[in-house]
Amino acid sequence: MPEGRVAPVGAAAGQTAQQGLHTDTTAKWFLLSSIAYFFIVGIVALTIAAKFVWPELLGTVPYLTYGRLRPLHVNGMLFGWLLPCDMAMVYFIVPRLCGVKLWSEKLGVATAALWNVIVLGAVVMLPAGLNKGLEYAELPTSLSVLVVIAWIMFGINIFGTILTRKYEQMYVSIWYIMGTILWTAFVYLTGNFATQFTTGVNQANLNWMYVHNAVGLIFTPVGLAVAYYFIPRASTQPLYNHRLSMVGFWSLSFVYVWTGAHHMLHGPISQWLQTIAIAFSLMLLIPVWAVVWNFFGTMKGQWHQLRDNVPLKFLMSGTVFYLLTCFQGPMHSLRTVNAIVSKTDWIPGHAHMALLGCFSFFAIAGAYYVAPRLWRTELHSDALANWSFWFFMIGGLGFFVTLWLGGFWQGWQWNNPAIPFIDTVKALHPVWLVRFCSGVLMFCGIVSFAYNIMATVVNRREEHA
Amino acid sequence: MLNRADKSAGFAIGAALVLFFIGGTLTTVIPPLVDKSWGRPFENHDPSKGPTGKLRPYTELEKHGLAIYTREGCWYCHTQQTRTLVADTKRSGWRGVDSPISTPDEFVYDQPHMFGTKRTGPDLSRVGGKYNTQWHRTHFRNPRDLTPGSVMPPFPWIANDEGEFQALLAYIQRLGRAKDWRPDGDYEQ
Repeated sequence: MPEGRVAPVGAAAGQTAQQGLHTDTTAKWFLLSSIAYFFIVGIVALTIAAKFVWPELLGTVPYLTYGRLRPLHVNGMLFGWLLPCDMAMVYFIVPRLCGVKLWSEKLGVATAALWNVIVLGAVVMLPAGLNKGLEYAELPTSLSVLVVIAWIMFGINIFGTILTRKYEQMYVSIWYIMGTILWTAFVYLTGNFATQFTTGVNQANLNWMYVHNAVGLIFTPVGLAVAYYFIPRASTQPLYNHRLSMVGFWSLSFVYVWTGAHHMLHGPISQWLQTIAIAFSLMLLIPVWAVVWNFFGTMKGQWHQLRDNVPLKFLMSGTVFYLLTCFQGPMHSLRTVNAIVSKTDWIPGHAHMALLGCFSFFAIAGAYYVAPRLWRTELHSDALANWSFWFFMIGGLGFFVTLWLGGFWQGWQWNNPAIPFIDTVKALHPVWLVRFCSGVLMFCGIVSFAYNIMATVVNRREEHA
Repeated sequence: MLNRADKSAGFAIGAALVLFFIGGTLTTVIPPLVDKSWGRPFENHDPSKGPTGKLRPYTELEKHGLAIYTREGCWYCHTQQTRTLVADTKRSGWRGVDSPISTPDEFVYDQPHMFGTKRTGPDLSRVGGKYNTQWHRTHFRNPRDLTPGSVMPPFPWIANDEGEFQALLAYIQRLGRAKDWRPDGDYEQ
């Protein structure tokens, strides 16, 4: 083992030795709920993509109009699918890295139940038009309060486990998980509560601090915690370099929070604040490259494993998407680039690469890895898992690339005021059709993934897979 | 020092929060204290300093309109900011007159703010007074009757509800009017 390489702590103890220790009830509940919402919200996602192609679709039903389904899509995917799936992984990872049982399974199950109340509440309230009108913070205040309570329950359980740990040394994933829990508390309170006491540009600034950090300080650290655990696990390789993970973690904790105002470049917000946001956006390259270097380094000489290791396929393509999306981000914040791509369809292409291409890929990999271990069986079908990878990959690439090309073209047209606005809309009709078709492929990915996990749970191993 | 954070959860938490709060405070709490225009409503009576006018608080009817605008998620597709880009001032302009750039003091009463992040439909920061009542009623009933190629959803439940329609209309006709930017006050009713 080259110097600096570390295995996830506890690995030495061997997985089998720990096998009897964990009941994992909480992880199971979070995992199953999140996959159910992935499927349900996937239908919503397809519906709103279809509305771009057929604007009159379901157009006379207020509950199903675009403007009410879009927040359901965004919040459903973020807080119904991705976050609870990541939380399931945390409930799985932390006790194993600490060498002890989860602090309280009862509290964990209660958290899962409360989380389901929140998501089901959102499924009813958002289409009814009840929302705060702030991006990513649409959930009505009553539900936001429940989120805070659930998050405290989650935090107590995880910190309780960490503080009673058997291994003194904390593996990287644990730092990221602790960071996620604490930063989220403040980021979420800012976006959902502090915004209620402010107006105008001041509110927008808090809103975008939250939007940016919902991705940067919630989904990024928890997603990286998952990847830091599962890349060495799935490849059975020790992590490349411990010092590099420190650089990644500590630069992330300092740099990310400064950049909210880059969502309002050229807009009605102080120029000096825009410049600060741009400077720090460029610095985001540091934590990202440190992490990606570490992941690639871990795979050195092991790339052949990608051929038939499905979790590893998701993890490493997720890493590539992470590198790309986090290269786009800082570039978008340059004023000249921003003048073209900002507010265009390029942006949903970028956002989907981050949350689907990177963080959902990490979560899916985790789900494929843990499901057979949680239910003490084997994955239902490796072939179907491979199919789900290619559905997500081709659908995802189709989605990202089409929207980048379309969005760039759209921005270029906007910058020529001689072109009437409606012509720039018509120009995107074919782009939106391709986006819908890519969405269908991605939905096939969701279905095959969800079916595979569910079939694993009811224990139907397909022979000759 | 970094190695210490490896072993002590308390130290790691403390350091992670301190680093976070430096940027968090400097970019959210400090800016509104430094830049007063974020909280002071627009008012200008001197034509040599740009468009004149005064930002007034929302009426009850306009507030209701903003609530409808929020409920239907109009802001997912319509931004409300004329940015510091020439193209934006042309596109938000009307009948050959460029729109003034949006400034923070025009949005002081907005709760929630409606700046938006995605521009699927045109920007609405200066839409107030561009189209008359009849145009809006027809447009909400089916946007494609007036603008073929549009992908905006129809809103029959608003167009057919006089109370909601009037409220939303009052809100729309107010947008961008704090700056009295039209040369002859040629606003539509």
